[in-house]
Amino acid sequence: MLSVEGLTVRAHAAELVHDVSFRIGPGERVGLIGESGSGKSLTALSLMGLLPEGVTAAGRARLRDRDLVGVPESRLKDLRGRAMSMVFQEPMTALNPLMRVGAQVAEVMTLHGKPRERARARAVELLGRVRLPSPEQVARAYPHQLSGGQRQRVMLAIALANEPELLICDEPTTALDVTVQKQMLDLIAEVAPALLFITHDLAVVASVCERVLVMYGGRVVESGPIREVFTRPRHRYTEGLLAASKLTPRGTRLPTIKGSVPPAGRFPGGCVFRNRCPHADVTCEKVPALTGEGHAHACWHPADRG
Amino acid sequence: MILYLLKRAAVFVLSAAVAGVLVFSFMAVLPGDPAEVALGVNATPEAVAELRKQFGTDRPAAAQFFDWFGGLATGDFGTSYVTSSPIGEQINDRLGVTAVLVGGGMLVALLIAVPAGTFAAVHHRNPLGVAISAFSQVGIAIPAFLAGILLVFVFAVQAQVLPSGGYVPLAEDPVEWFRGLLLPWLSLGLVQGAVLTRYVRSAVLDVMREDFLRTARAKGRGRMGALWRHGLRNASVPVVTVLGLQLATLLIGAVVVERVFVIPGLGDLLLNAVAGRDLLLVQGVVMVLVLAVLLINFLVDVAYAALDPRLRGAR
Repeated sequence: MLSVEGLTVRAHAAELVHDVSFRIGPGERVGLIGESGSGKSLTALSLMGLLPEGVTAAGRARLRDRDLVGVPESRLKDLRGRAMSMVFQEPMTALNPLMRVGAQVAEVMTLHGKPRERARARAVELLGRVRLPSPEQVARAYPHQLSGGQRQRVMLAIALANEPELLICDEPTTALDVTVQKQMLDLIAEVAPALLFITHDLAVVASVCERVLVMYGGRVVESGPIREVFTRPRHRYTEGLLAASKLTPRGTRLPTIKGSVPPAGRFPGGCVFRNRCPHADVTCEKVPALTGEGHAHACWHPADRG
Repeated sequence: MILYLLKRAAVFVLSAAVAGVLVFSFMAVLPGDPAEVALGVNATPEAVAELRKQFGTDRPAAAQFFDWFGGLATGDFGTSYVTSSPIGEQINDRLGVTAVLVGGGMLVALLIAVPAGTFAAVHHRNPLGVAISAFSQVGIAIPAFLAGILLVFVFAVQAQVLPSGGYVPLAEDPVEWFRGLLLPWLSLGLVQGAVLTRYVRSAVLDVMREDFLRTARAKGRGRMGALWRHGLRNASVPVVTVLGLQLATLLIGAVVVERVFVIPGLGDLLLNAVAGRDLLLVQGVVMVLVLAVLLINFLVDVAYAALDPRLRGAR
């Protein structure tokens, strides 16, 4: 349903996302994981046509039969909020502080042609659907009168209003309390159509998604079904990421990936991970291709299948 | 909301009282007894004492203050020591003229600054946007009276399409009223407009970086649509602050511009009062100007509450 091929995002000379390809089927829930700076958010923003000024995307991305990259803004804005929607990381600043919540939910419907009265009624209905208590009251509230978790539910209500085919969530629970996180994730898993879920939290992705893409240095380095990738990682980066997230016995050192993510445009040539990889050698100076059916990886020295 | 407004109103009344004390004290410590001034150097001490009694300036300062300040509430500013005419009436005649002058100047400033500032923010990366910023910088450097003289030179002396000064009341001839005020409005408004353009630009730039504008675009609005629907009202909050400060500046600027264009406003009255050593009149005009500034600040606070629900307190 969503197919992305050779998506590349550039800011001036620096290439921030390189040749990313993936597909999402109808109703499929796909996770996109990686550390900050790996290009996950830029990938999502380029699908929505919301890249910041001075950042451009190239390649091909299609939602069913509609192109998303390299098409004029006038055509994209008709898709945004209708065929695809996005929930952002920061619920505290994502809503207009001067406008009532109900009006902000209704807006996304009137924008795409629903009469005002019906949009208002449906807004209240949607606020109930994302399990906000007393939705009529919430609709009349201003954002500052709601908590972070409630605001994120409002964002979800906005995203779902026009029954989009694809929902993109960019770290939707990162800014929330742990207890609220769980409820939010359950809700997203329940209401989402096809889902692209961006996070750096492996546990979160495991609880929501069926398939996962691991990004590092602007490239997809590994992809496959959650269970396989998480139990038998092939790429050395995924391996390190999983090791770092495991609970370790008391008294032992926490395993970490050595070094840190280089700034954008400063990744090494060849395999982007080779300056931090314990297995790197001269062959890694060449770019490894993403190979494998189902469970794919881009690594010259993959971890053995256990 | 009501609590907020009551608080603001209390602040207004309190500052008015403090301002009254200050204005009165300043005038009281100025050298020059009005009775002595009125009678000249050859007056006998008895005559001076007699006149003091008549003026009431022989009473303790506190009594004089309460007499004067109490009168303000009813529009009674006392009677001039120099012309023996009631001061309230003179001020009342002039206040309307100055209000129209300042209001028109502000309107000119807004008509320039809102479109120009927004445009400069939206196009902040391309040459025209940068040019607007640079141009407004030049505007800031020009004082209102100089702008006035330049405008008179171009439109009244060279092109001879507008009068160089003078004032025709609206009731007498609306067209001449407008023509007479056009250059004063422009000379006040152009400069303030240039200053305001910069504030509007930076407020709009700030708002353009807000997450909720991205949300609006994610809903399906274009860049300009998002800015129009969600950005401008948010940007207006900081601009209103500056607007309040500028109105105060304009009021002071009007004093000078009234001189340049021979307009019978408060500024003209004030300067004449100073020249004629009419202390009570000076005191009255200064007090009215101070009250106007305080009132503007109060209105700015009210505007905040109208614009931003977060300031209104509980639902």
